[in-house]
Amino acid sequence: MLRRLRERVSVVWLVGPFVLYVGALPFVNRVHPIVLGLPFFLFWMLLATVLTPVTIALAALGDPRFKRDREGDAQ
Amino acid sequence: MSDAAIALGIFAFFMLVTVGLGVLALRRSASRSLTDWSVGGRSLGTALVWVLMAGESYTSFSYLGAAGWGYGYGVPVLYVVAYLGCGYAVGYLVGPLLWRYARDHDCVTISDMVAHRFRTPVLGAAVAVFATVFLLPYIQLQLTGMGVVVSTISYGRVSLDWGYAVAFLVTTAFVVVSGLRGSAWVSLLKDVLVILTLLTVAVWIPVHFFGSGGLGYPHLLHRMVAEKPEWLTLPGHDSPGLGMGWFASTTLLSAFTITVFPTTVAGYLGAKNAGALRRNAIYLPFYQVLLFIPLLLGMAAAFVVPNLKDSNLALFRMVVDALPAWLVGLTGVAAALSSIVPMGVFMLVIGTMWGRSVLGASPRLADRQKGLSQLVVVIAGAAALLLTYTSPNTLVRLSVVSYEGMAQLLPVVLGGLLWRGMTRAGAVAGLAAGTAVMLALVLSGNDPLWGCNAGVPALAVNAVVNLAVSTARWRRAD
Repeated sequence: MLRRLRERVSVVWLVGPFVLYVGALPFVNRVHPIVLGLPFFLFWMLLATVLTPVTIALAALGDPRFKRDREGDAQ
Repeated sequence: MSDAAIALGIFAFFMLVTVGLGVLALRRSASRSLTDWSVGGRSLGTALVWVLMAGESYTSFSYLGAAGWGYGYGVPVLYVVAYLGCGYAVGYLVGPLLWRYARDHDCVTISDMVAHRFRTPVLGAAVAVFATVFLLPYIQLQLTGMGVVVSTISYGRVSLDWGYAVAFLVTTAFVVVSGLRGSAWVSLLKDVLVILTLLTVAVWIPVHFFGSGGLGYPHLLHRMVAEKPEWLTLPGHDSPGLGMGWFASTTLLSAFTITVFPTTVAGYLGAKNAGALRRNAIYLPFYQVLLFIPLLLGMAAAFVVPNLKDSNLALFRMVVDALPAWLVGLTGVAAALSSIVPMGVFMLVIGTMWGRSVLGASPRLADRQKGLSQLVVVIAGAAALLLTYTSPNTLVRLSVVSYEGMAQLLPVVLGGLLWRGMTRAGAVAGLAAGTAVMLALVLSGNDPLWGCNAGVPALAVNAVVNLAVSTARWRRAD
């Protein structure tokens, strides 16, 4: 698997959720500003939860393996 | 009819439907083999994998524990959302890897994958026993969770002890009969009910207690910011060291651990193809948005029902106080199914590991693996039920270390597939060293250790010992 990852560059997007949930912590652990009525930390976690599938989709869309799945040659 | 009778009637009806669904799922299956029972004959498409794995992730903890944490500490409980989100990203790569290995070598669970990888049945049996020790507490957690739900929605008419017994009976009945496919079908019912009742509760409770302007949320959030700001950032209110370091390390450790958690792996192996798993890595995270509801309502409960003796009841206290009986019943069914589905898969996985790798490893019993697995399901469930009655604290203490314990399987299960050089001796030495360090830290009260989840240093020791022993033996063999 590791060798083949070289042809699957887009999977670096998979670090996305880690950046959103973990990397951003020092900057988002606060009550203000209030966004959409939500205290900032809650807002950020909700945003991260909505963006997580987006980053994984970006990883998948550039992944030759995922394209092959969709052509029905499911392996 | 009294409120209790209405709520209990609805509850009883859906419990029968649950067992019925299990039986129906059985009739749809083509064969009666262990593979069919344990991993649904590797035939589940994207949608069924989604409902099954979402069902496993949203347990009765979400109704009770998450609301309880929200009530007591506040936002630290969001680590659950964080690690599941990150875990799906890891699973995008790991899921297909495990799925392919299992299909190519006819494996049905992690213990026989390890036995095959290291050509050592005894190591597979050891992994099965190890994983069972750390899975039993989860069964008990779900049993007690469901007992509490049944007792609460019956307005106290049904005792906790009877609640536990009902939980055990319903779960055992459908899992023994129908296996993983039945769990997936019951999950479908569960997800529909969970989504409907949670959205209803999310609207009803704030309006009921905080007025109808903006469905009550502006008022609730405003009061939280003004009166309980401690709850709104890490480390939360009066929490036992749940700061940023703890949040980050627990998220990282759990995101990887969940991909080798035997119940997650059951979901992976049940998939029809690797594509179903990659697609699910994208679709599954959406489900986590629902976890914000019990958290928010748990924090709201701090205003509405302060000074609860059992903080886990934060959400259900309000549900029973505010909602009409039939909705109390439906919410109870959703919460009960949130116990039943994961508990069923936990028991199924324990049964499969023992049937395949411990008892079934003996050639004399090799052709009776499925029957043995089903027998172990009943034994494991009965053991958890018995411990719940006789010494409820034993398993609770064990559950504290469950995730950190399961993390110690990462090198053996996942590392072993990625790194051909890992030897049997390295795997055993690493697992033993990591587990020893983890137990020493937790039992001596050093978890979190300097603000970091104790499972992380233990896993590091595990990996280093594994690497050292594996390479030492490897050079000699050359």
